[in-house]
Amino acid sequence: MTRLSIVFLTLVGFGFIAPQALAVEPAVPAGPLFSRHVVPIFSKLGCNAGACHGAVQGQNGFRLSLFGMEPVLDHVRLLRDSGGRRINTIDPDASLLLLKASGQSTHRGGMRTTPGSADYRILRDWLGQGAKLDAVEKSLINRLRVSPQEKLGKAGETYPLKVEATFADGTVEDVTALCTFESNNKDVADVDRMGQVRLTGVGDAPIVVRYRSQPALATVLVPGKPLDKFPALVEKNFIDKHIFAKLRKLNIEPSDECDDATFLRRVSLDVTGALPTPDEVRKFLADPDPARRAIKIDQLLEQPGYTAVWATKFADLLKARISYEDFTHQPAQASIRQFYDWTRARLKDNTPYDEMVARMVLATSLDGRSREEWIDEVIESYSDTFSDKIGKSRYVDRKTLDLFWHRFDSVGVKGAVQFAHSFLGLRLQCAQCHRHPSDVWTQDDVLSLSNFFMRTKANTGVMSVKEAGQIKKTLGTGLTATEKNKLTEAAKKFADGGKKLHDQAKAKKGNKADADRLQAEATALAQRAGAITRAIKILEVSYVGHVKGNAFGWASVTSPLGTQNSETFRLLGERDNAKIADEQDPRDLLVKWMRSSDNPFFARAIVNRVWAHYFGRGIVDPPDDLSPLNPPTHPELLQELEDSFVKQQYDLKWLHRTIMNSATYQRSSRTRPTNQFDSRNFASFHPRRMPAEILVDALGQATGVPEVFKAGGAPVAKAIEIPGTIADRMVGNPSVELAFTIFGRPTRNAEALCDCDRENRPALVQSLYLANHPDLLKKISSPKGRLTELLKSQSDDARRIDDLYLWTLSRLPTDAERQICVEHVRKNASVIRGFEGLLWSLLNTREFILNH
Amino acid sequence: MKLHCQSFQQNVSRRAFLKLGGAGLFGLTFAEVLCAQANGRQPRARQAIFIFLAGGPPQQDMFDMKPDQPLEVRGPFRPIRSNVPGLDICEHLPRLSRCAHQYTVLRSVTSRGYPLAGDHHAGLAWKTGNPRALRGTPKYPMYGSVVAKLRSGPSDMPNFVAMGDVASMAQGLRENYLGPAYDPLYVEMGSRDPRQVDPLTQIIVPQGIAPAEFSRNAELVRSLDQQSRQLDAAGPVISGMDQFQQQAFDILRSPRLREALALDREPRQIRDRYLVEMQGYGRLNYTSRVLAARRLIEAGVPYVYVDFPYWDWHGGVAENNSAGMASLAGLDAALSALLEDLHVRGLLDTTLVMALGEMGRTPRMNRNGPAARDHWGACQFAIMAGGGVRAGQVVGATDAQAAYVRDAEYKVASLGKTMYHLLGIDPDTELHTTDNRPLKLITEDVPLIREVL
Repeated sequence: MTRLSIVFLTLVGFGFIAPQALAVEPAVPAGPLFSRHVVPIFSKLGCNAGACHGAVQGQNGFRLSLFGMEPVLDHVRLLRDSGGRRINTIDPDASLLLLKASGQSTHRGGMRTTPGSADYRILRDWLGQGAKLDAVEKSLINRLRVSPQEKLGKAGETYPLKVEATFADGTVEDVTALCTFESNNKDVADVDRMGQVRLTGVGDAPIVVRYRSQPALATVLVPGKPLDKFPALVEKNFIDKHIFAKLRKLNIEPSDECDDATFLRRVSLDVTGALPTPDEVRKFLADPDPARRAIKIDQLLEQPGYTAVWATKFADLLKARISYEDFTHQPAQASIRQFYDWTRARLKDNTPYDEMVARMVLATSLDGRSREEWIDEVIESYSDTFSDKIGKSRYVDRKTLDLFWHRFDSVGVKGAVQFAHSFLGLRLQCAQCHRHPSDVWTQDDVLSLSNFFMRTKANTGVMSVKEAGQIKKTLGTGLTATEKNKLTEAAKKFADGGKKLHDQAKAKKGNKADADRLQAEATALAQRAGAITRAIKILEVSYVGHVKGNAFGWASVTSPLGTQNSETFRLLGERDNAKIADEQDPRDLLVKWMRSSDNPFFARAIVNRVWAHYFGRGIVDPPDDLSPLNPPTHPELLQELEDSFVKQQYDLKWLHRTIMNSATYQRSSRTRPTNQFDSRNFASFHPRRMPAEILVDALGQATGVPEVFKAGGAPVAKAIEIPGTIADRMVGNPSVELAFTIFGRPTRNAEALCDCDRENRPALVQSLYLANHPDLLKKISSPKGRLTELLKSQSDDARRIDDLYLWTLSRLPTDAERQICVEHVRKNASVIRGFEGLLWSLLNTREFILNH
Repeated sequence: MKLHCQSFQQNVSRRAFLKLGGAGLFGLTFAEVLCAQANGRQPRARQAIFIFLAGGPPQQDMFDMKPDQPLEVRGPFRPIRSNVPGLDICEHLPRLSRCAHQYTVLRSVTSRGYPLAGDHHAGLAWKTGNPRALRGTPKYPMYGSVVAKLRSGPSDMPNFVAMGDVASMAQGLRENYLGPAYDPLYVEMGSRDPRQVDPLTQIIVPQGIAPAEFSRNAELVRSLDQQSRQLDAAGPVISGMDQFQQQAFDILRSPRLREALALDREPRQIRDRYLVEMQGYGRLNYTSRVLAARRLIEAGVPYVYVDFPYWDWHGGVAENNSAGMASLAGLDAALSALLEDLHVRGLLDTTLVMALGEMGRTPRMNRNGPAARDHWGACQFAIMAGGGVRAGQVVGATDAQAAYVRDAEYKVASLGKTMYHLLGIDPDTELHTTDNRPLKLITEDVPLIREVL
């Protein structure tokens, strides 16, 4: 099955195109019809875009429905608003509509069309024939067909696209002139307003065609000049088979394999988020084992860095940012840590991905136990807040992650949208209020999915005491008197214990050391008592579980475009509504659907995201846009990865290993003439800037002066192990907070559902930070730092230079580089200044900050 | 044009990028710069200073006085004539009364109807020109970030400098959909506590290294980069990094920024006009930010933000040494000196100056003492000057108690739109949010403030 037919079938499957059997060939109507011809011109000319008259408040008093989705309303507004002055059926050319659109009368939107053009003529003819509204139902689109759907062309060639629409009344019409066209890869193909495609370069390009609010897709593939001899390629696994096949088809040569040092640096940064140490580099370079790369990958996947990198990734993806309105932030910090540690523990055990997600989505506070046991757990975990046991609380041993339901907006419509983004790789934000012009989901799809998120009692982030009280009143899930007593007693026990120790400390006047020790213990106990007292307050709102019936109502969205709701349960892409009894937890069905082997999104989303982690772009890119209109560059590869991953029981480590062991991952970033313009076919490795946390750690390791993190009360060794955000006060180190901010650690803002929440673009302040941040300069010259130590222990300049190269660029310098460095050191007044300058320079090279 | 720009921007290709050689700043910016300036009009304003009067400067006690009202409304201050007929202003703004021909008072710009009107967080709207709330709305960027994205100044100067914290009283403002690339460079100047030096200030001044040595080290970076040639032929990421690094090195090597911030280079008699001594308060450090802003404008920085604090008028403010009186004296000195200096240097015509607060103040005083008033969202004033603004006038009018606008009401968005317009930036330019939603610089369909054009 070709990818196009997959797309087409998917579109059909989603039920908004309902093909009908054609009995008789009905006649195409004579004059232009409003909904069929005029509205599409509004779309084509951009009149009804969100930034123009499609805006909710319209533009300069003239409003159209967004993307022309409501032709009847558009007709009314066009004819009636402003006293009907926009149209003139007697003298169509004098209609304000045409005067404005053609720029003959002042129009802020500029000249959109010209008199005499095809668009203009259609508008004029419609006006001349009385500006009537047609029977809109007859012109609903049953099917939109682009030809050629798939094209093999060569650079310089041009060809026309033809678009045919089949309407509800059975008529078929060539609507090419009424469509908009957009190429998604302008390196390869350009398409003009009339659908004329011009092929400009080697590669492949999807072209999105839109007629009214209906999209369709065409693709084109342009091979390069045939090569005398395509390089012999060794496939390491099935990934290479697919990647090479397409490269051969395109006559694009892949780059060489990267060298061992580059491989080690790349794989260390990608898997564990850390640079290799000089010893590791030397050992690896000296290893004669032909399987050394595969062995290294296996070793790295067992290191704690692996779980830290991916727990961070999941915390980013899930917007793990928890905050209760108790103004102390203490419990919130503990819960962020618990969230992070729980995820990390699952990654360490290599829990199958589907199970891990199921244990998040299906989470309840009780976790299948009695309330008593749950409360014991909470007491323990809140007591942990201030103890050195932090991070080792029993929370990580819980079966389910009820904190999943403590995230901002985890329930309702927003909960569904977040879920779709995190686990299905879909963007439903726009579809909450309107069908997106380049996606397939309707508002009803989103709302019907949202009903699965309407029956969970959650604590969605900031909840005021008043709101919490309201929920308690509605649902009666607050604590019972017995439970409250139990907690109060626990708090009292700690408080009393604290008081006793405090008194003892006071008594030890003579022995200051003893008194201080006792006082410290007393304070710790008092803090625990405080924590439990707060827990009592929080428990009332923090309980997560299923609520029978629809106590929270049905999913509904109110936006400037109006209010809509859904009273049915329907999973994405399913034709039929689900039946869910009042006592049934709809999450069960949701998870069952997600885990079923024919779910089109769940496994695909994660394999594509993991791929994107290693290549900087997904097979579908952006990786969180698995829309049928955003096709994969390598559909067969994606399919095989997805199928194998499911066959491997959702084994994440298998996925990591398979990708990294491919020859494709191990390409050099040095390009060849045939692949230098390629961005979609993984012919060379595209360098990426180190992420914020990893950079902070790398700077610490290279200079030998690691940072100190408070991380919300408990120390962690590395920036990549910090569970929470700056806003949640989880960093506790101003210079690191600055680095996080300017190098783009995600803020985990539930409002911005996008994998791009992690900023990877360059910025002036980033360059200034590396060049001149006082804390970094101090690290370079620190008496306890790498350089000082090196100057003491090593007397030969060349060897010192070798070591600095290993600590920063994870390789040995070339002879030429060594020479440049030696000369630089000599040019300086003192050896120390010379080497400080050298280390500074190495940290400011591209090669340092890039994973290449 | 707009649709074309949008698709161009979204699809700036690797090939096109390499062919252009990373013209402009880097990839994306280049296209958007073209779009934003496509209207071809020659603007008069090329640079801007935004003075944020953190807190709520009271309209009835400054530029919209109501002397005929009872004491609890008119307050303890008396109006004095300004040199613009019809504009009487507070007796404690004597210097501003003598240069009223250089600015325009807008009495009718409000944040009424905005999510946080009358609240401290209304700064989110005043600083972005859009109805930004704490949650639930797009994270609109500050004016300065937008200008920094669409404009660039001299290569050895930052595009956007802020003094004081831009996010003061506007929680979360630093998060915006343009990302950190267009954040301001912070310059700590005149902070409340001199021991708290923002590390970002130190980042622009080389620490303990002679220019020659810095240049030598920077040269070494270049030669080492040239050695690892495999990273040459890459796309926007590396090219962008290179250009920003070049700019960073230029800033650090160049004396211009340092000199602009070295206020002691300013002749004493000129500098002292910006400074105010208040009994009990000593020297008001923050007024020197306005002087620094002028020097940064002279050095070519496109956009300067000044946090001009403490318009906290809940308590009694009319005693001689109160914070309120200090704010009045500070603004009177600094703003009048700024306008005059820009004028003398021939920069006023090309530099837009705006001063405004988060909100207005209640028509009636509270019981906390003279001139003490609480937050009021329905009405406030804004000052515009320079940059082609028609100066020496009053725009709009309020009712008898300066409580509600009676004439020519303009929303925050109109002010923002007018500012972009004056700077020659098309306010309809579309930028893309992190989830790729196209948004105009000013999202609301509002009129320009014609009176000032």
